Amino acid sequence: MNGPLIVQSDKTLLLEVDHEQADACRRAIAPFAELERAPEHIHTYRVTPLGLWNARAAGHDAEQVVDALVLYSRYPVPHALLVDIAETMDRYGRLTLSKHPAHGLVLTTTDRPVLEEILRSKRIAPLVGARIDPDTVAVHPSERGQIKQTLLKLGWPAEDLAGYVDGEAHPIELAEDGWALRPYQKQAVENFWHGGSGVVVLPCGAGKTLVGAGSMAQAKSTTLILVTNTVSARQWKHELVKRTSLTEDEIGEYSGTRKEIRPVTIATYQVLTTRRKGVYPHLELFDSRDWGLIVYDEVHLLPAPVFKFTADLQARRRLGLTATLVREDGRESDVFSLIGPKRFDAPWKEIEAQGYIAPADCVEVRVNLTDSERLAYATAEAEEKYRFCATTATKRKVTEAIVRRFAGQQILVIGQYIDQLDELGEHLNAPVIKGETSNAQREKLFDAFREGEISVLVVSKVANFSIDLPEATVAIQVSGTFGSRQEEAQRLGRVLRPKADGHQAHFYSVVARDTIDQDFAAHRQRFLAEQGYAYRIMDADELLAEG
Amino acid sequence: MSTEDHPAPRSLAEALRGRDDASLAALLRSRPDLVTPVPTDLTQLATRAGTRASVVRALERLDRFALQTAEALAVAADPSSYDELLGLMAGDARDPEVSAALPAALAALREQALVWGADDRLRLVRTARELLAPSPQHPSPTGLGPSVREATAGMSPGRIQEIVATAGLPSTHDSVSAVDALTALFTHRRKMKALLAKAPAESLEVLERLVWGPPYGQVTHDPAPRLRWLLDRGLLLPTAPGTVVLPREVALHLRAGRAHRAPEPLPPAVEPAATHRPQVVDSTAAGQAYTALATVEELLKDWDEGGPAVLRAGGLSVRDLKRTAVALDVPEPVAAFWVELAYAAGLIASDGEADERYAATPAYDEWLERPAAERWARLAEAWLAATRTSGVVGGRDAKERALSALGPGLDRSAAPEVRHRVLSLLAALPEGAAPDPQAVLARLRWERPLRGPQAASPALQGEEDLRSRLARWTLTEAELLGVTGRGALSAQGRALIGGSPAAPGRHPEPQGPGDKLPVHHHRTAAPLAPLSPPEQAVAVAAATRLLAPLLPEPLDHVLLQADLTAVAPGPLRRPLAEVLGVLADVESKGGATVYRFTPGSVRRALDAGRSASDLHAFLAQHSRTPVPQPLAYLIDDVARRHGQLRVGAASAYVRCDDDTVLNEILADKRAGALRLRRLAPTVLAAQADPATLLEGLRAMGYAPAAESAEGDVLITRAHAHRTPPRTAPEPVPDGPPVPDATLLTAAVRAIRAGDLASTAPRKPTDTATALAPGELPRTSSAETLATMQAAVLTGEALWIGYVNAEGSASQRVIAPVRVEGGFVTAYDHTADEVRTYPLHRITGVAELADE
Repeated sequence: MNGPLIVQSDKTLLLEVDHEQADACRRAIAPFAELERAPEHIHTYRVTPLGLWNARAAGHDAEQVVDALVLYSRYPVPHALLVDIAETMDRYGRLTLSKHPAHGLVLTTTDRPVLEEILRSKRIAPLVGARIDPDTVAVHPSERGQIKQTLLKLGWPAEDLAGYVDGEAHPIELAEDGWALRPYQKQAVENFWHGGSGVVVLPCGAGKTLVGAGSMAQAKSTTLILVTNTVSARQWKHELVKRTSLTEDEIGEYSGTRKEIRPVTIATYQVLTTRRKGVYPHLELFDSRDWGLIVYDEVHLLPAPVFKFTADLQARRRLGLTATLVREDGRESDVFSLIGPKRFDAPWKEIEAQGYIAPADCVEVRVNLTDSERLAYATAEAEEKYRFCATTATKRKVTEAIVRRFAGQQILVIGQYIDQLDELGEHLNAPVIKGETSNAQREKLFDAFREGEISVLVVSKVANFSIDLPEATVAIQVSGTFGSRQEEAQRLGRVLRPKADGHQAHFYSVVARDTIDQDFAAHRQRFLAEQGYAYRIMDADELLAEG
Repeated sequence: MSTEDHPAPRSLAEALRGRDDASLAALLRSRPDLVTPVPTDLTQLATRAGTRASVVRALERLDRFALQTAEALAVAADPSSYDELLGLMAGDARDPEVSAALPAALAALREQALVWGADDRLRLVRTARELLAPSPQHPSPTGLGPSVREATAGMSPGRIQEIVATAGLPSTHDSVSAVDALTALFTHRRKMKALLAKAPAESLEVLERLVWGPPYGQVTHDPAPRLRWLLDRGLLLPTAPGTVVLPREVALHLRAGRAHRAPEPLPPAVEPAATHRPQVVDSTAAGQAYTALATVEELLKDWDEGGPAVLRAGGLSVRDLKRTAVALDVPEPVAAFWVELAYAAGLIASDGEADERYAATPAYDEWLERPAAERWARLAEAWLAATRTSGVVGGRDAKERALSALGPGLDRSAAPEVRHRVLSLLAALPEGAAPDPQAVLARLRWERPLRGPQAASPALQGEEDLRSRLARWTLTEAELLGVTGRGALSAQGRALIGGSPAAPGRHPEPQGPGDKLPVHHHRTAAPLAPLSPPEQAVAVAAATRLLAPLLPEPLDHVLLQADLTAVAPGPLRRPLAEVLGVLADVESKGGATVYRFTPGSVRRALDAGRSASDLHAFLAQHSRTPVPQPLAYLIDDVARRHGQLRVGAASAYVRCDDDTVLNEILADKRAGALRLRRLAPTVLAAQADPATLLEGLRAMGYAPAAESAEGDVLITRAHAHRTPPRTAPEPVPDGPPVPDATLLTAAVRAIRAGDLASTAPRKPTDTATALAPGELPRTSSAETLATMQAAVLTGEALWIGYVNAEGSASQRVIAPVRVEGGFVTAYDHTADEVRTYPLHRITGVAELADE
C-alpha cells in the first residue's frame, strides 16, 4: 500500500503531488472533495457533505467515492469515515423537486419519514403548499430556491429535476479569429453547461470573461450579466464585442448613469441593490426580459440582497465567476445552494505552469517603525491602530525605493487610506484613482496606463476588481482592508495577466513590523500561500540598502 | 447409567445419587453456586439445588430452547413422560427439528439437576415448576391457563354436572370423576373436534383470541350467547366474578398440542452480512489499532502535567470528561472508553494526594518504551478481561447516582464473558466476514433469554437488557480498538481470543431419547468461557506477532511547506514527534499529521529552551525539502523578540544615582543576608522585604529613605494606627424581639390545644387509676383499639399518649375518623389538622370527661 493519498480523521485528504499516481488520484477525488490548499508538496482536499451531495447530483455514487479513497489511500481508511460518507450521500435524493402536470412544482419523497420530518420544520412550513398524496407536497414555484436552500441546511438536500427554462433565444457565437478558448476555459464552459448551473473558479487574469462569453455562446439566449462596477461593465462590453458575434447595439448597460435593456444587459450590483423607500426599484430588471442565462461576476462579492433575488431565479441557468470563493462573511454555502455547486476549479500554480498567467514573485517587506512611531502606536486607540501602522511614513520611503528599482515598468501602488495615497501620489509624481474620481477620468487614466503614457498609478480599493490592466508588472500594496484574503488575491491578480514578453510579475506588500499590520498581512497571505504562492520576507533595511 | 441398575429414583437426591462423578462434576461446573460452601451430602446438594435463588440462577443460564422445554414441563402433568413432553414441544405434527433437538435440551436440564427421573417419569424440580407454572399473577410465557382441574376447584358440584351434561357426557356421581371426564374429553382430539364443530362461528372467534394467551377474558353479568355457549360446555371456565379463563387442555387442543407458539430449537444463525478481503480487514484493524495507541498517548499527554481532579465519590466529573472528549476530538462515550481502557490497562490511576488527581502511572512510561504491537496487546488484553464497562458511564445506578468514568459502580461481571462470546461468534464466521450486529444480538438472546413477561413480547422491551447492551458495546469497542476491522474479526483479533481460523463446531449433535444422562461427555470444546491467564498470555503473544508487521513504520522526516505547515506523511519517530509537537500546532490528525507553525508555537519551543539555531538545524535535518524562507524568517523574527523583556520577582529594591555607593553595598559582606542583585547600574533588587532592607542598610551605616509605590519619599513619623473601614456593631437588645400578630395567634392556639390535652377532665376508666396531671394514659392495645373504634362511631374526641419516631412522648387530643391497618386517622386538636398515627405508638387512651 503506497498510494499518494492520506485520509485524515477530520475528513481532510492529503495528496502528495510528486507521487506518480497523484494526477489519477486528483481526478478520482475531484468530484467530491474541495481543494482547500495547494502549496508545493502536499495538497489538502476536504470532504464536506455539500461536496458529497454535489457528487451525487453529478451522478457519482457512494461506492465510487469509497473506492477512490480506498484505492489511493496510503493507510487504511477509517471505517467510520467510510460509513459516514455512505450515510451522507444516502441523504441526497430522498427528496426531489420536479414538475407535475397538474400541480406545477412538487416535492416528492421516496422515504416518507423524511418528508414528515421536514414538513414539521418551522422553516419549511411556509414554503410548501397542499399535500397532494402521502409522498408529495406542492411547492410554490417562486420558493424553489428558498426551499432548496432550507432543505440543504436541514441536511436533506433535494434533487432538482424541474429543469430550466430556455429563455428568449438570441444568436451569439464566439468570434474565434486568431484566438481560441484555452483548454481549461473550454473545460469550464463544458462543466458548467453539463451541470446546468454553478460556479467557475479561475485565478485573476485567467480569462473568466471568456468563460462567460463561451457559456453565452452555448446558451444562445438573452443574458443578464451582473458585475461589480461600471468600469467593469464597460470592460465586459468591450470584451464581448471583441470576442463574440454581438455588436455594440445588442449589449446594454444598466447602471447608475444608463438604463439600457438589450438582449445582453450588463448591470451593476450597486444599481440592483439601491433602495428607495424600502423597495428595490430596479428589481424589475430580472423580469424585464425572459433571460436564458444569468452571469454573476465576482460571485464572492455578491451582496446579500442579490442572494434573495437569486432565490427566485431557480428556473434560469446561473453562472458564477470568481477567483476566490473565500467570503469573509462565510456565506459560501449560500453561493453553492443558490447559484450552484462549484463546476470548475484549477489551482493557480497549475495555470501558471501552463503559461496562461504570469509567474509572480511575492515579497513582504517589513519596515521598522521609528521609536517615536512605536510609542505613538502603543498609545493609539484600538480602532485607530491599524490605520496608524498601515500609513506609517516609513512605508513611503520603501515604496519609493521599490518604484525606483522597477523604473520603466508599469507599476501599480494600491492602498486603503486616501491620505496615504494622495501623499504617495505627490511624492511619486503619479496620478491617484480613488472613489471620487469620475468614471471618465478613471477610464482615461487606465487607458493612458495601458498605452504606457503613465508608468506609475496610485489606486485605492476601487481598482481591486475587474480592471483589466494587462501591462502592469509590479504591484505595491501599502495598506488594505484589514485581513481580507480575497482582496489580497484580487490585488495579486492585477499583475498576473500574462505579459507580452513572458515577464515575471512582482507583488510587494509593505508591512509594519511588530504591529497588527503584520498579523493582518499574515492572514491576508494565507489564501495565496495555500495556492502555492510563497512569500519571501525582506527587511526594509535590506531593500533600501540594495538601492 | 441406566434404570435397570437402580430402581427409579423417588427424589432429586436419589436421582443425584444415581449419577456418576463426571456427571456430578458437570452439574457443579454449570451451577457453581452449589459448591459454596461445599454441601455435606447429596441430600444437602439436592436441597440446595432446589432453593429458589439457585434455581432462578440456573434458569437464567439456560438457552432459549432448554428454557422452553422447562416451561413445557411446568405445564405438563407431574411426572410426565417423554412422549407427553415431545407432544407439547413438537405438537401433534411432531415437528422434526424440535423432535431432533429435544433430547439434547432435556439432557441439559437433567445435567443441571432441573429435571430428574427416567423418561417415563420426568419431573421438573418443584421450585422450577412453581417459578414457571402459570398463575393469574405470573402468566406463563407459554400463554397457557390453569388446567380444568385447577379452574374448577371452587365450582359447585351442581354446576359441574350441568357442564358435563351440556358437553354431551353422562352425568357422574361426584365432581372429581366429572372433572376427569371433562378433561378426558378435552384431551381427546377427535371428540373435541366433533364438539367444536357444533360451536357457533362467533364462539370459535372468542377461542381464537384467547388461544395463544393471555388466556383470561372479561365477561359481563349476562354473557352474550357466543360466550354462554362456551361457558355452558366448560370451554371457558369462570375464575373470578367477571373473569373467565381458557382451560389449558382446550388451549392445547386448539394449538394442536404445542405449548409454545414458536419453539426455537435451533440458535439463530449468525451469517456474514458483508465480506471483505481478509487483508483489508486486517489492515483496517491495524490502522485502527494504531489510532488507539495514538489516542491513549494523546490522552495521557493531555493529563501529563496533572490530570483532572478525582470527584469525592470517585471518578471523573462530567465536565472533565467533556473536556477530554473535546481534546481527543471524539464523542463523550468514546472518550469514556479510552479513559477506562487506559485505567484498566494500569496506565492511569489516582495519585492519592490530598487534592486527588488522575495521572499516568510509572507503568505508562514503561509502556511507552515498548514496540507499538506490544503496546496494543497490553490494551487489548486489559479490555478483554475488564469487568468495568465504559458503556454505562453517564447512566444512573439503582440509587439514582450518576455513574462517572473511572468512578465506582461501573463493574458488570458479565462483561468479559459477553465480550468473549461475541468475539467467538465473529470467529466462527469465515475470514473477512462481518455479521449483522442484530443477528449477533439475536443469537446472544437465544443463548440467554430473558425470563418473564418481557421475553414473551419483544415489543414491550423498552430498555434493552444488559447482555444485549454489553454485546453492542463489545462490537463498537472492538472496532475502536482494532480487534475487528470493518465489522469483521481481524487475524490478530482471532489470535487474541485463542481461536484458530477454522470455524468451531455447532451445538452437540442431537441424541436419541434413550441417551439421557451424561450429556457433558458430548459437549464440544467451543470456548464458551474466557481463556485462563496463561492461555491468554500465549494468545496475546500470537496476536502481537500478527499485528507487528501491519503497523506503519515510524518516519524520521517531514515535508515543510511555504504556507508554514509541515506534513508528516505517516507516524513519526517519538523524539521527532515530541519536538515538532512543541514547535508547531497540530492541525489535523490521522494517517498523517499536519502541523502549523505560528509565532506562538515557535515561542513555545524557545521557551522550552531551544535556540533559533537549534530549530533551524532541527528543521534542516528532518525536512526532505529545503526549509521555506518564510518559516526560517518566522523563527528568526520570533527569536529576535524572545526574551527581550525579562520578568522576575523581588520584594524590595535599592535605587541610587551614584553607582559607586551601590558597588560598596554589594561588596559589603553584611549585605549578604539581604540577597541583593544588580539589575542596572543604579538599581539593586533585594529578596528581603523593605523594612528589613531599611534596617540592614541602616545597620551598615547608610541613611536610606523609603519610597512609596509612586516613587515619593515616605516620611516616617509617629502616627495613629487605624483599622480599615468598619461598620459600628448592631445593638443587641435585652430579650427577644416583639413577635408579630401571626406568630402570636399560632402560639396561642398551640398553647390552648396543649392545655386541652393535659387538663381535660377524663372519665375514670375501671382499670386505670386516676392519672397524675401530665402523665401519659396507659391502656392495653386491645383496649386502645376498642376505644378508638368506639370513638369513630360516636365522633367523640379522645385524649391519647403518643410516642413519636424519635421516642419523645406527648399528649394529644384527637377525634378519630378512621381506624384501619394499624393506623388511626384522626383530627388532631393539638395540631389543628388531620393526622395519621400508628396504633403501636399510642401508649394509651382516655375518654374526655363530658363538659
